[in-house]
Amino acid sequence: MDEPDPLELLNHLEGILESDPLIDEIGFIHPSQFVLLNEDVGTPSTSVDSVQTTNFRTLFWIRDHKLGISTKVLFPLYVAAKNAFVEAYKNYKLLQRDDKHASMCCSSSSLSLESELMKHSRALLILSCDFGTAWNSRKLVLSKKQSLSMFMNELIFSSVILSHSPKSEQAWSQRRWVIKMIAGNCSNLQEIMERESELVKKLAERSKMNYRAWYHRCWLVSYMSVEQVLQEFNKSREWAGLHVADNSCFHYRERLMLRLFEESEHSQDQDASFDPELHKLLKDEFNWVEKLIKRYVGREALWLHRRFLLTCWIRYFACGDHDRSLASNQRNIRAVDIDMLIDNELELFRSCTILPDSDFEDYQAQATFAATYMVWLKRVLCFIYFFNLAVSFELFTQLILYVLNQQLAGALAIDIQKVETSRVKSLLTNVCPEKSLLWNYLPELCM
Amino acid sequence: MGELQVEKHVKYILAVEKRKDNFESVVMEHLRLNGAYWGLTTLDILGKLDAVDQDEVISWVMQCQHEDGGFGGNIGHDPHMLYTLSAIQVLALFDKLHVLDVDKVSSYIAGLQNEDGSFPGDMWGEVDTRFSYIAICSLALLRQLNKIDVGKAVKYIVSCKNVDGGFGCTPGAESHAGQIFCCVGALAITGSLHHVDKDLLGWWLCERQVKSGGLNGRPEKLPDVCYSWWVLSSLIMIDRVHWIDKEKLAKFILDCQDTENGGISDRPDDAVDVFHTYFGVAGLSLLEYSGLKPIDPAYALPVSVVNKVILPCRP
Repeated sequence: MDEPDPLELLNHLEGILESDPLIDEIGFIHPSQFVLLNEDVGTPSTSVDSVQTTNFRTLFWIRDHKLGISTKVLFPLYVAAKNAFVEAYKNYKLLQRDDKHASMCCSSSSLSLESELMKHSRALLILSCDFGTAWNSRKLVLSKKQSLSMFMNELIFSSVILSHSPKSEQAWSQRRWVIKMIAGNCSNLQEIMERESELVKKLAERSKMNYRAWYHRCWLVSYMSVEQVLQEFNKSREWAGLHVADNSCFHYRERLMLRLFEESEHSQDQDASFDPELHKLLKDEFNWVEKLIKRYVGREALWLHRRFLLTCWIRYFACGDHDRSLASNQRNIRAVDIDMLIDNELELFRSCTILPDSDFEDYQAQATFAATYMVWLKRVLCFIYFFNLAVSFELFTQLILYVLNQQLAGALAIDIQKVETSRVKSLLTNVCPEKSLLWNYLPELCM
Repeated sequence: MGELQVEKHVKYILAVEKRKDNFESVVMEHLRLNGAYWGLTTLDILGKLDAVDQDEVISWVMQCQHEDGGFGGNIGHDPHMLYTLSAIQVLALFDKLHVLDVDKVSSYIAGLQNEDGSFPGDMWGEVDTRFSYIAICSLALLRQLNKIDVGKAVKYIVSCKNVDGGFGCTPGAESHAGQIFCCVGALAITGSLHHVDKDLLGWWLCERQVKSGGLNGRPEKLPDVCYSWWVLSSLIMIDRVHWIDKEKLAKFILDCQDTENGGISDRPDDAVDVFHTYFGVAGLSLLEYSGLKPIDPAYALPVSVVNKVILPCRP
């Protein structure tokens, strides 16, 4: 077979894309795989196919809206697509400049140049997903047209690219640009948010700890209603429980929680600063993560999530500006609460630092994370200890507050002592000798 | 421990630059200016910058510039901050910053600053702390920091700090070693490192070192040579580099070399590329590997270049 003409290849690819607007997945396939794929489809009746189409059958494969392109033609196809795009972009920009001078907007030549540009940039991006200038050219056309259906189609196109390159920074960025463009005048924004979130979930399944994908999901949070944030929080729990090594998913839950805390701070007046629902939500997460930590031994992401939860607990429920307005009985409840929390964490530490006789790496990792978690706990406690002292001196005229703070601080000072620095240090050096340089410094930091 | 294959890496970089006849090389053409920065900086650290024709490079770089002052990743590509910094860095390597219309380039960068102090990458508005770093590093190299509101830029970067001490690309985004380098680098250049909790961040960064000695960029990820740069440079800037095992890290980087054809990969036995070759050599330079020029952890350029550009007051 002769080498196919690059322009014909491009026309053929663009023809496929035009004829099946529902294509939802794209992949590059090695020629040897084509044989298997075509056998799978069954032999088509060759009588109706032209010779050319038969040739293309070994280069392009399409079925159930999935498109495969042979790796054999990627280079000539790319060169043809790029040249066609560059030409179309140049002409489009020239015409735009002329249109500006002539103050016309929708001439027929401009329409056809627009569709040429959209067509060639699409083919080019399928071959080279981070070709920023091609994405920009599409933004240029879209912002000129301001058509909701075109914006929605762009979201679909970007997901096709992501099906092949889930880490494409440009494809994710294009989605955010489109959403910002339509956010103001679109009645089903919440629905779009939900679909975006689902897309990330689907892609995260195939592309683990994909920073760009999870960043996109975090970015959506600021566009969500509080109800939706709560829904997302509940929905993402199952996935997180099944992907305990995916730090990004736990970070997503942290982002959702922080948004809820922010909302709660804004919405509540001074007298009722304690939000029992959030208190329960945090407590549930605490208990859930503890279960996961015990079930999945030695998972860094789980321990880091617990560090975050602990910090939140202290920040939102143990100290801070709100406390000053609290009645003394409520304040005592919290001191008790904190005491119980610390006891619980010490117990967790003990149970996670029991090393079985066998030399399992997971248990050593678990003990390391438990010990560094203790350092974190101490650090957070020191923070309240000093924080409360500072507050009490600052407000020394308010005698009652002063006494209460001293009580709290006194109780905490004892708890700090419970966690012996030397024990943590020798444990760390024992279970994780390769980080001994860090252990020389770390446990001392908070004393 | 194997030694750094200086001659082979030089040969590899020079060869990669010329290759344009396969799909793998042409799909990278949109970021060729980044590639030029990675390759040329590596050559300079290795003491072999004179192996390239600098007039040819400079003339090509200048053809990537647009009317508005910004640079595209290659001739005919749209301007973006990512490539504008690379252009400035490449010109700085050759001590040729004077060929630039400094006012024009710095106006392009300064013109992008948002009301809240953040920077988008280009006119289309995607904000990221990487672009804050680029703006600050570029303008510092051009001695034009006064063109932006530095206070607001710093405030925005600080707002991207997380509970774990790290930084993400926008407020509330997950900590990532690459983003941390950008934020810490920008704060270092503007003399604002007091905003960083050095012990807390140092702790997070040191937890990136895995058993093999390599560094990862986030918890639970595999080690990758590029983090030898992002993590190490950050640790140096916050003065906590003595917390990690430098010897094991150097060994990990050296194990990622292609000892036959040159180049460095992300992990041992993977395919090499210019990006990882640069980060491996730059990482070794930070580790004071013998025979390498020292590299500046904030500007990501050889110290000798930074000294020439920043220190003297030129007329």
